[in-house]
This record gives sequence, C-alpha cells and structure tokens, in this order.
Amino acid sequence: MATTSTRAAAIRGITSCVPARSFDNLNESTGFEKEEVEKVVRLAGVKTRRLATDNECSSDLCLAAARDVLGSLGWEPESVDALIMVTQSPDYFLPSTACLIHRDLRLADTCAAFDVGLGCSGYTYGLWLAAMMLQGSGFRRILLLHGETPARFASHSDRAVALLFGDAGSATALEAGGGDERRRWWFALHTDGAGYDDLIIEGGGFRDRFPADPQKYFVHMNGTGIFNFTIKRVPPLIESTLAAAGVGKDDVDYFIFHQSNLFIMRHLAKKCGLPEARIPFTIGEFGSTGGPSVPLTIAKGNLSRPADRPLQLLLLAYGVGLSWGSALVDLPQAAVLNHVQLPAADAASGGTTV
Amino acid sequence: MNTQDATKWIAELFQEPSASVTPDTPRDAVAAWDSLGELTLMADMDEKFGIVLTDTQLKAMHRVDDILQVLRDQGKLTD
Repeated sequence: MATTSTRAAAIRGITSCVPARSFDNLNESTGFEKEEVEKVVRLAGVKTRRLATDNECSSDLCLAAARDVLGSLGWEPESVDALIMVTQSPDYFLPSTACLIHRDLRLADTCAAFDVGLGCSGYTYGLWLAAMMLQGSGFRRILLLHGETPARFASHSDRAVALLFGDAGSATALEAGGGDERRRWWFALHTDGAGYDDLIIEGGGFRDRFPADPQKYFVHMNGTGIFNFTIKRVPPLIESTLAAAGVGKDDVDYFIFHQSNLFIMRHLAKKCGLPEARIPFTIGEFGSTGGPSVPLTIAKGNLSRPADRPLQLLLLAYGVGLSWGSALVDLPQAAVLNHVQLPAADAASGGTTV
Repeated sequence: MNTQDATKWIAELFQEPSASVTPDTPRDAVAAWDSLGELTLMADMDEKFGIVLTDTQLKAMHRVDDILQVLRDQGKLTD
C-alpha cells in the first residue's frame, strides 16, 4: 500500500506534556568537552531538553496530557470509546500501558484500550488507526496518546544520543465526523525492517533478557544509517502523499516534522523545496522526543491559525523500525491546543539521572 | 568538477586549509571528519551531487581519495 485515505475525523484538541526538569546542554555538566557539546548543539539544534525523573514514565506524561484535554473539552470519561497508547517506553512489558491509563482516567469498561508499539512514526500510524476506527460504526470519541521517555534509555556516555533526547507525552482527542462527509485524510505508511538495528535497545527484551553488557540496556543509534534512511525515504514520502491527495506544497499550511535533528530537518526542507517559514521547530527547546515530537510541535510550534478555515497540516514521522509515515490532516479552527508540564519532583520522589 | 576542485571542496567542508588536504590525506588527520563530519559530508554529497552515501561506503572511507573515488564511480569528476 503506497497511500490510503480515510474519512476525516475531527481533531477536537491536542495537549502535549513534558517533565518539569529542564536540562541546558550548553550550561550544565554533560561529561563531554565544552567544544564537543557546542558542536553537537550547533548541528542537532538541541539547546535544552526536558528530562523525566527516574520515577516518571510515558504513562505519567500522557495521563497529565489526557486529563488536560478531557477537561478543556468538557468530555466526561465515560464518553471515551477507545484509548490508543502509542509508545515504545511502556511502564511494564505487561499489562499494556493503555490499561494503566484507563484505570487512572476512570474510563468506562466499554472502552477499548490498547498499546501500539511504534516510535518515531507512531503519531501518523495512531491517527490513521483512530480515523479508521471512527469511520466504522460504534466509536465516536477516541483518545490517542503518544508518549516516550527516550532520555531515560540513552546512555550518558554515548555522544550520539546523550545530548539529543528529551521526554514528552501527548493526548489527542478525536471525534467522528463533524461535518462534511467528503473531507478526507491522507496517509502513507511504510516499513523497512532491514534497518531494525539502526536504532535499537538490544537488551532487556525476550531475545536477550539479561545481557552481560550493561550498555545493551541503552539505545544504540547508527546516526549515518538513520540519516541515509531519511534522505532516501522522506522526500518521496512527501511527494507521494501530496500526489495521492491531489494537492500541492502551497496547499499545506505547515509541514510538521518529527523533530529528529535540526541539521537533518533543514537538509530535508531544502532538498524538498519546502519554505522554513512553514516548518515549525521545537527541537531547540525540547530536544528530540521521538514520535511525540509531532503533536508537541503542533501544540508548541506557534502555528498561525486563521479564524475562517482549518489548517492543513502534513505530518512527517520517520525513524526506529525503520518505519515512516505521513498524514495530511486538517486542524479545525476550534481545536484546542494546550501544553502542560508535570509538577516538579521533590527529592523523595526520585531525581533525574543525567 | 575535477579532482583538484573536489579536493578543495572536501577541505572547505571539513574546515581545513586547502593546502593541507590532498587525496592521500588520511581521515584521522582531518579533525572535523568525525561522526558529525560524516553527516555534513552526507548532506553535501546529496546536495551537490545527488549521491546518497550508504553506511557501508562511509565505513570504507579512510582517506580523502576514498571520497573522491565515490565521485569517480558516479561519473561526477571530469578528469
């Protein structure tokens, strides 16, 4: 399947959430030489990052975001028909993180709740899944949660990742229909499993449950392999999505990139002829937060929103898997965009390992 | 672009004086040719020549001439 479309769902609100702890790459101790840090910051663009404490999980970030979006919209918990949690940093191998959040939000026992194990591409897959569910019968309201804590699985001695990652969660409230039945959302969803080891945590899963090498509990990233992948895959992803939808680049208000690395995003923008004015960057403030960087950038990217029409957004998500996807969706004028942060942790509730 | 111009371009890319970079210059003599330098090399190769370097090609590059050889193989050098 190259591209697909669904009946458009209605995005009622998006709330992003980050931990309270802000880490300044240039002015706090990282264990690396100052010149080296400056070089990485210049290239990757990550000035500050938000770091979860050792006790804060993706579920906590998504729960806070979900509470905010439900409250903002006045949605009663029992009105939510399904909860989709997209994450590769779950609380437990089992049960699903979605079940924990279902409990904490006091959702009804008629609510479907499940996890989707995707990372950087997860938001586009999650939106597609939610839209598919909403165009069938039965589901009216869906909460799509996407949260990751990549800073917690980055080795602090690995320069390739130590200065890059931040943690974030998000909640997107979607509703069926909401008007013109002819409106469509367009998606392109792709995979190349041959690159599975370009971004991987080798240890701790059932393939290698208790590795002798402790570094295997941390993420390993082949930076050049990932860059090769993005150069090859993202430009045709943009072209094929626009072609399938029958629209041009000028019809898109904003291109929302997965905030992988400033240098890479700028290279892609130049290569694809996209004006930077229509590409919001949040990586400088929040770091690379994995897949949740997409909803975080919608919420915190200072999007200019006209009062008389929805925004047309092309979401571009790519990375671990290797997996990549796009979503051409509209953001209604009335959609509520919020951003919250977790309360600061006290000393007794666990510090942040940096 | 000929070999001389390409060598000059590589020197500029890695912020080295032109005179200090020749095809025989080893990678470890070029300070900026580290993992971050590889990314800038990849980006420039893509932008200037439309060549997307693979991980295997990058790992096989030990001196400046290995970069030039990729350009030769792709018919990008005129001499």
